Amino acid sequence: MVMKPVPWQTGEICGPDAAKAMKSADVLKRDFGKCKKRLLIVGSEAPTQKHGKGDMVDYAIELSKAGNMDVIATGGAIKAFVERGFDRAKTMGAMELAYRLQHPDWVGPFGKGPYDMIMIYGQPYYMQWTLLSAVMNFGTHITAIAIGRYFQPHAKWSFPNMKEKQYHVVLNEIVELLGGGK
Amino acid sequence: MSDSQPYYGAVCASQSPRTGTENVMKKKAYFRADEADTGLGKFKGLEVRIGTIVDDEWDEPMGPTPMPSPTDLRSWDHKILSKYQPSYMPYCQVCCLCTMGKCDLTGDKRGACGLDMKGQQGRIVLAAANIGCAAHLAHSRHLIDHLIEQYGPRTKLVQGPGTEIHAPVSRLVTGMRPRTLEDASIIIDYCETQLNHTLSAVATGQEGSWLDFESKVFHIGMVDQLGMEIADLAQVSTLDMPMADPDAPLVESGIGMMDMEKAIILTIGHNIVPAASITDYITEKRLGDQAEVGGMCCTAWDITRRDPKAKVVGPISWQLRFIRSGRADVVVVDEQCVRTDVVQEAKKVKAPVISTSDKAVMGLPDRSDDPIDSIVKELISGKIDGCYISDHSMVGEIATKVAIALKPARRKMKFFPSKKQIQKMAAECKKCSECIRACPNDQNVMEAVLAAETGNMEPLRDVYRNCIGCARCESACPNDYDLHSWMVVAGEKDCEEEKYMVRTGRGAIQDTEIRHVGQPIVFGEIPGIIAHVGCANYPGGGDDVHHMAEEFAKRRYIIVTSGCAAISMGHVRDENGQSIYERRSGEFDAGSVVNVGSCVANSHIAGAAIKIAAIFAKRNLRGNYAEIADYIHHRVGAVGISWGAMSQKAASIAAGFWRLGVPVIVGPHGSKYRRMLLGKAEEERDWTVYDARTGDRVVTAPGPEHLFYAAETVAEANVLTAKLVIRPNDTGKGRSIKLSHYIDIHETYYGFFPDDIWTYIRRETDIPITLKDKILAQMKENKWKEKKIPDPTLLKEQVIGGGK
Repeated sequence: MVMKPVPWQTGEICGPDAAKAMKSADVLKRDFGKCKKRLLIVGSEAPTQKHGKGDMVDYAIELSKAGNMDVIATGGAIKAFVERGFDRAKTMGAMELAYRLQHPDWVGPFGKGPYDMIMIYGQPYYMQWTLLSAVMNFGTHITAIAIGRYFQPHAKWSFPNMKEKQYHVVLNEIVELLGGGK
Repeated sequence: MSDSQPYYGAVCASQSPRTGTENVMKKKAYFRADEADTGLGKFKGLEVRIGTIVDDEWDEPMGPTPMPSPTDLRSWDHKILSKYQPSYMPYCQVCCLCTMGKCDLTGDKRGACGLDMKGQQGRIVLAAANIGCAAHLAHSRHLIDHLIEQYGPRTKLVQGPGTEIHAPVSRLVTGMRPRTLEDASIIIDYCETQLNHTLSAVATGQEGSWLDFESKVFHIGMVDQLGMEIADLAQVSTLDMPMADPDAPLVESGIGMMDMEKAIILTIGHNIVPAASITDYITEKRLGDQAEVGGMCCTAWDITRRDPKAKVVGPISWQLRFIRSGRADVVVVDEQCVRTDVVQEAKKVKAPVISTSDKAVMGLPDRSDDPIDSIVKELISGKIDGCYISDHSMVGEIATKVAIALKPARRKMKFFPSKKQIQKMAAECKKCSECIRACPNDQNVMEAVLAAETGNMEPLRDVYRNCIGCARCESACPNDYDLHSWMVVAGEKDCEEEKYMVRTGRGAIQDTEIRHVGQPIVFGEIPGIIAHVGCANYPGGGDDVHHMAEEFAKRRYIIVTSGCAAISMGHVRDENGQSIYERRSGEFDAGSVVNVGSCVANSHIAGAAIKIAAIFAKRNLRGNYAEIADYIHHRVGAVGISWGAMSQKAASIAAGFWRLGVPVIVGPHGSKYRRMLLGKAEEERDWTVYDARTGDRVVTAPGPEHLFYAAETVAEANVLTAKLVIRPNDTGKGRSIKLSHYIDIHETYYGFFPDDIWTYIRRETDIPITLKDKILAQMKENKWKEKKIPDPTLLKEQVIGGGK
């Protein structure tokens, strides 16, 4: 199932709507141009997921800086941000987010919303799946980009169960697309 | 009673007196038996109709809603649902329940019946709650009918010493004090009627509003609680179980505890009746040195409540590993949470299966009318894989005789591949990742298999420790490998060391215990009651549940538990080799761990909260649901946690707590219930209550902030638990204690001081003294103003003078 846009966990099919497969960062250009109020959502698995010489919390910090994005950490991931002295992250539950993102006037814990785009990774697969279902069905003002390795059918764009090496390359491309990176 | 199956069909058509003053309970009862042999003679076609039973010894006035219909408490439900609105997360965007569909419900579309996406989601939640309630209720009906047949309808219902307010849920919901099995049957009639109504509401062309679907979810949750209370009350009264006993015995638990020198009979499910016939037979025939009984899931608790020599093998998620291990010589299944492939699995290890419930016949031949010796002979010979026996009195003899006969030959058999064989098979792995994709917990089964190829079994052992025993990896494997068995081989040592002592279910909480803790709970000085209940759909065995229970027990919260969560919690030993049950008292008190028993004993947890209102606040319970729920919601800092909730039964149990205003947290898999009930902390209007003393509208802090919530991690659950016990009625001292714990837990798991403390400070007396400077600074920064502490209620009629 690698490189195929099918749900990573076999039973988690959906429909009729489904995400488009994102194999390179370029496909996001248009949405990045259109959506300026972006929110990065980072789950509890991020501190144990490697990226380059660091982990996916380091990546979040890099992405947040590149894309001028507020970060909301779910499931206790906030502790990793606090320990790194990063102060543009706040904590909320994944289920609270699933609820709040349905409301077009929600300004978020930073008071800087409403957001028109979310980028998300790091929650247990099935939990991100349900969160994105709420957004797809009831938070239609939001463009959802899933940037975990595995295909999330309820996003607008999602990686198609990427090979690990290639996945991290595209993650870096996204940072560059937003004006960050080397 | 007759040889033929009697029909006991008491129906209750209670008239709901609305005056609140009438103390007469009207019940219509109907009894029919095809044949009856009584002291008065033998009757054929006996029918007895009783027009009215008057409980004139009970001087408590009847409240406004005895035996409520699905709409009688709708107003209360809507109050709660406007505060905690559903957040839906659809599993799919279509409806496929009728032939006008499939209907596409995306966006603003409506289906052919007119239902929209939110309505459809509410409907699915109601369907799940109905299924869950039906499972408990059918169990309860079976028990009551069986016990009436065995002991007679006038058999007294007794909850135990110190339980003057026995059956608090029944009192609250029905306005009845069930004193006999006959009364119990009348209450179950009421429950069945309600289930019929709420189930019918799911049909195409019935209910159309998400709000009213949700109200009915609450209704059936309440009915479920009632049915569970009746089931446990009936079995405790008749089957020699501990009666509200804080010193209920410690019993042996774990796969390693089973004595392989004896024939092993494994019982799985929830219904004590067939399992009891086995322990009774073993005791009566003095076969204890030859055979022993182990239980899984709630039958484990109920069988050890009745006979502490029986053993608790493990939770529901261990079924497959135990059957595959070949340790069980006979498998006896009753109802609920039984693996539906139990016959195929048991056949692999040459263990016959005896089905005892009409809900789970499992395709087996019905041998209920055959002579016991011929059934035993066929099961021993392997001529049949198993059989269905509806007469529970036969089950004990058959299961015991077969197990003893099969044991010698079965002990010589090997059921698992050797490590060498696994190594060889692992070399043929196709590396397709399908086992990982199939695993609900994303365990890297494939990497573990590839490691096994090199002779390294440790990764497979790790998978074993995190496995929930679903075997989806096996179904997905293109090589048809028995991957779950491989894990058990790798974890063989862990398996043998699974030896624990757990306290079996005590039943209800005594009134005297409530008297002792009622005030400190309501004032917040005992910071909360945390109930760990439900299924075992979590990786890591009991680690998480044990960790959460210990975290709060050491902080002097009262920990209550039941079902598989109670089993898992006991499956962790400390450095002294003791389980949490050996370390902590079973009394309903601060710092204790109180196992009430099986799923149906969950009702005692709700019962304890209800009794606090009756005993501490002297509120009338009788048919007085909304007032008591309002009391509990605002004053009793209780939180339910079902960390491994997986079933529809867990959904209906949660719904019963929602209607009482008690918040429930589930683990991450609980997000698959696809609907949360969430508050908005910053919306002052949502947290505004009446002050019952003055009728003024008063804004309170957001407590409890949510009513149903799936937490992603233990860290999040712990932080949320500490916050969800906060109630508007806390005293200054109580609020200060609760906030101290919340802050400490928040700093521990999130790494920083919570920024919402100021919202929970009403007066300076609420401030934990050691943190005063920090909190005062936060209050100043947020322009805090002193708030009134009301006598909180959502019900205008509770205001002194009726709110006029």
